[in-house]
Amino acid sequence: MNWMRNARLLAALLLALAAALGVTGWRLYRAAQPVQLTLYFHPFVGQEPLVLNETNYPNPSGEGRFKVRDFLFFLSNIRLVSPTGAYAEADSYHLVRFDGEERTFVIVLHDVPRRNYEQIQFGIGVDAAANRSLASRGDLDPNGRMAWSWEVGYKFVLFEGALLRGNTSEPLVYHVGFEENYRLISTQLQRKPLDGRPARLDFRVDILRLFQGSTNIDMAALPRVKFDRADAALLARNFAGMVRPMWPDAAGQPDGAR
Amino acid sequence: MFRWRADVAAGALITALLAAIATGGCKPRPIPSPLTSFSAPFVFGRFQVPADNPLTVEAVELGRRLFYDPRLSANGKVSCSTCHIQRLAFTDGRTTGVGVSGHPLAFNSMSLANLMWGPQRFFWNGRAATLEDQALVPLQHPDEMAQDLKRLVAQLAADPGYRKLFETAYGEISRSAIPRALASFERTLISSNSRYDQFLRGEITLDAQEELGRKLFMAHPDVKVSLRGANCIDCHSQFLTGGSSAGYDGFANNGLDDEAHLQPGLQTVTGKPAHRGLFKVPSLRNIALTAPYMHDGRFNTLEEVLDHYDRGIKISSTLSAVIVEADNQGAAASGRISLHLTAREKGAIIAFLQTLTDRDFVTAERFSDPLARK
Repeated sequence: MNWMRNARLLAALLLALAAALGVTGWRLYRAAQPVQLTLYFHPFVGQEPLVLNETNYPNPSGEGRFKVRDFLFFLSNIRLVSPTGAYAEADSYHLVRFDGEERTFVIVLHDVPRRNYEQIQFGIGVDAAANRSLASRGDLDPNGRMAWSWEVGYKFVLFEGALLRGNTSEPLVYHVGFEENYRLISTQLQRKPLDGRPARLDFRVDILRLFQGSTNIDMAALPRVKFDRADAALLARNFAGMVRPMWPDAAGQPDGAR
Repeated sequence: MFRWRADVAAGALITALLAAIATGGCKPRPIPSPLTSFSAPFVFGRFQVPADNPLTVEAVELGRRLFYDPRLSANGKVSCSTCHIQRLAFTDGRTTGVGVSGHPLAFNSMSLANLMWGPQRFFWNGRAATLEDQALVPLQHPDEMAQDLKRLVAQLAADPGYRKLFETAYGEISRSAIPRALASFERTLISSNSRYDQFLRGEITLDAQEELGRKLFMAHPDVKVSLRGANCIDCHSQFLTGGSSAGYDGFANNGLDDEAHLQPGLQTVTGKPAHRGLFKVPSLRNIALTAPYMHDGRFNTLEEVLDHYDRGIKISSTLSAVIVEADNQGAAASGRISLHLTAREKGAIIAFLQTLTDRDFVTAERFSDPLARK
């Protein structure tokens, strides 16, 4: 009968409409939900993965082989930038370290609004205002290992180890701080990082880049850097190369092998 | 499935209500009062009290009673305060502690001050993860207090005073309530009125010798910029003067023994060879009162301690790199480790260490034996 056919058609139409509304609604709802973005930092010594205390790596610009006993640095003020607005993590001070049970250091950004972010920015070190403050924000701790003293502020990068040449072992102590050495790094994002499941970004952290870059540093010639501002600036000039994206970066160059 | 869950939930709710009416309804359980009189300097930084053992007036009072009570030991003669004497900033003046067995213990009795800050692992080798866990160890150790927990609960239950305190603080006397009360009292042992604290608050100035000592304490030496330092701060943080709280940062090998004689230390806990010979960096608060020094009490005076750091460092594989490298003459690579401090500098550092003595802390009535005759 005719009315039955019409009813069926109407039912199908209503169903399709409901489905379309549902899908659109779900998409709108999902777009409004903040996501969790996880940043992974993988430690390297050049092409080798970093292993603390054990392996001896060649001095990049001179004689001898070195070992790493401790390697820590502050990564601060994480921001994601999009044309429609930026996300800035609150109390964003992370002490990146690789001496835990997991070899990779992880930072989880909670409640990141869904936008098409084009850039990620962060600082290596501690910005001047926080460096002069005694507040315990994020991982900043005036009684922590990275605190020099309230008169000087924080060590931004700490690398302690030893350089072995023949039978002699010389301590390596690189404590790099001072507010003029705080470096902001911006990296282009080439895909939509929030669409991944789980949403993640991977970075390689290469300790060798501290000694290779705009300045090449021979560990044997400069085994310690502490309070000499010119020496500290030498290493700080290389900060920018120390943390690099593991996706094809701004210059279109994939940064080395994993 | 859903229905079954709903039934169980409803049943549980009714049971809980009935239980509440049966117990709480007839005889309301006394509610402990949160500890409000409690404060600590801003510069000490963040701290955490376990969620399952909040600081309450009653728990702290109970903990204080227990701390001084020799019933906590098998022979009724040893209390926590036997090895932790307030006038000595809660140490005992001995090389290593002595408990019920009379046999010397393995370690020097640690000072109890500002325990909520710094490394949140307890004992010299960090073998206890909480103060609550820590409290149970000496209580039951055959050489220390050798008490049986079940027996102790029965003994305390026979005392109406204790029954009331336990009921208010924790609902009832139990094996777990005892260490929780002790930990609560210990968390209130805050030392923050030394001359150094007064200096930090801007109330006093240090004299020239103390100020020289403070500067040396707070500096890692750097010959290149003519900065002299004793690098104390590399391990003893600037305000707490103890180890750092993050991970195992508050543990260090400070060169007491050579490779052949390294004791296991933190390796006992982590199993890692890199942790062999590392011990907890203690707070230096009240250090002038807590001789002898080091985890085995091997040094009798602060002069001996300074001499150790100045030219007594023994080399081993886990020795702290900042100790090896610290030198005021720039000869670190020579293989001989020395800070090369002058006698005047060592005297100044000791003068600064004496500003860490807090008379209020070692005499405060709230930390003393509540049953002592005055």
